[in-house]
Amino acid sequence: MDDTKYGTRNKRGDWKPTEKIQFAPVLDWPFRPVRFAKWLISMDGFFLPWNTFFALSSVLVWWYLTPGTETTQTLAPGWIVYLLARNAVIVLVFYGLWHLRLYTQRAQGNSFKYDGKWPSTDNSAFLFKRQHTDNLIRTFGSAVPIWTAFEVGMLWASGNGYLPTISWAEHPIYLLALLLLTPFWADFHFYLVHRMIHWPPLYKHVHSVHHNNVNPGPFSGLAMHTVEHLLYFSSALIFLIVPASPLHFITQLLLKALGPAQTHSGFDKVVIGESSTLDTHSYAHYLHHKYFECNYADALIPLDKWFGTFHDGTPEKQEAMEQRLAARAAKWNQK
Amino acid sequence: MAWLEVCAASAIDEEDVMRFDQGDKTFAVYRGMDDDYYATDGLCSHEAVHLADGLVMDGLIECPKHNGRFDYRTGVAKGAPVCINLRTYPVKVEDGKVLISL
Repeated sequence: MDDTKYGTRNKRGDWKPTEKIQFAPVLDWPFRPVRFAKWLISMDGFFLPWNTFFALSSVLVWWYLTPGTETTQTLAPGWIVYLLARNAVIVLVFYGLWHLRLYTQRAQGNSFKYDGKWPSTDNSAFLFKRQHTDNLIRTFGSAVPIWTAFEVGMLWASGNGYLPTISWAEHPIYLLALLLLTPFWADFHFYLVHRMIHWPPLYKHVHSVHHNNVNPGPFSGLAMHTVEHLLYFSSALIFLIVPASPLHFITQLLLKALGPAQTHSGFDKVVIGESSTLDTHSYAHYLHHKYFECNYADALIPLDKWFGTFHDGTPEKQEAMEQRLAARAAKWNQK
Repeated sequence: MAWLEVCAASAIDEEDVMRFDQGDKTFAVYRGMDDDYYATDGLCSHEAVHLADGLVMDGLIECPKHNGRFDYRTGVAKGAPVCINLRTYPVKVEDGKVLISL
């Protein structure tokens, strides 16, 4: 598929989309109901395809693959190890499919690939000098266990009445509305945590591990320092105080666990068949990995716009970002 | 000003870079698009990686480790995560050889 219809490739081989990044029209003022409705229901909008996929996956995981309350009331190795294995398999299958198609089979070549190069196989930034090996170790050695630990803790707390759990039979509308807010809370929490770990001491010792992936692939998504995993998955702790059902923290955790495959895919679109594509909505986060100090959140809530760190991919925003960097560099070079 | 010979001018391709070690110091020597030559510190000011392994393009050297960018003509840091400029050194070409003054 000809990606030059949708963007341009520079001399270095990097591809960028023609269309600039736009925020979801949730907080537009004045509110634009038609645009909002289109965004809600269109393909590549709020519901389709990704949030619907994550919501349905969460329901299936909760219903069929999560032990009942009578089991989770007591901490025991059996169900904890089961959850660890379950989560490892989910990550392996989901991330594995992304990686297999885009990086092993290279099914669409470098069409829609942001970075002209393929991930490093000889870079001292990574464990064993290989990006993919490093990413796998950090994903399965830290991310999956931390995700599981949060889930075990929340299930145990819920089973023992330590969470304000309410039933779907009594509060269906409230619980559904709360479920729809899952991506918004995830984005808001991510922004807060993300700004915090860009504070130089935390960046140096913690977040730099993730930022070694300047040319990310799907498995880069969860390739973080363990401290970052603890902060990253802590978004589920909101349900210690917000009345909800177990489905809500399971969905929150599953979204945090699987979402990064898409946002770190390194491709703007996945080509399906001869002429169809699926947007990954990952350009904003790709620019963050490339330039380090823009787009701390995804483009759901305009936090970066409010705080002056938004890069929409245009030359104007590039210039603004370079000026911010130059001002910071000038301070450093005076020392 | 003492000049040290680095290499033959033709040994560096257009828009390319070569590593040059002198004693315990290391430098990066560049050839631009117009047969102009430049030299900077050889290690990235961010994490001490050899810039000679990086990509030269449009007046910039891109560090191979984190893609931090410098203008190799001035040494100025141009892209995160690098903030600290590189030191630059005088370079000239005489009799087909690249010379650097340290």
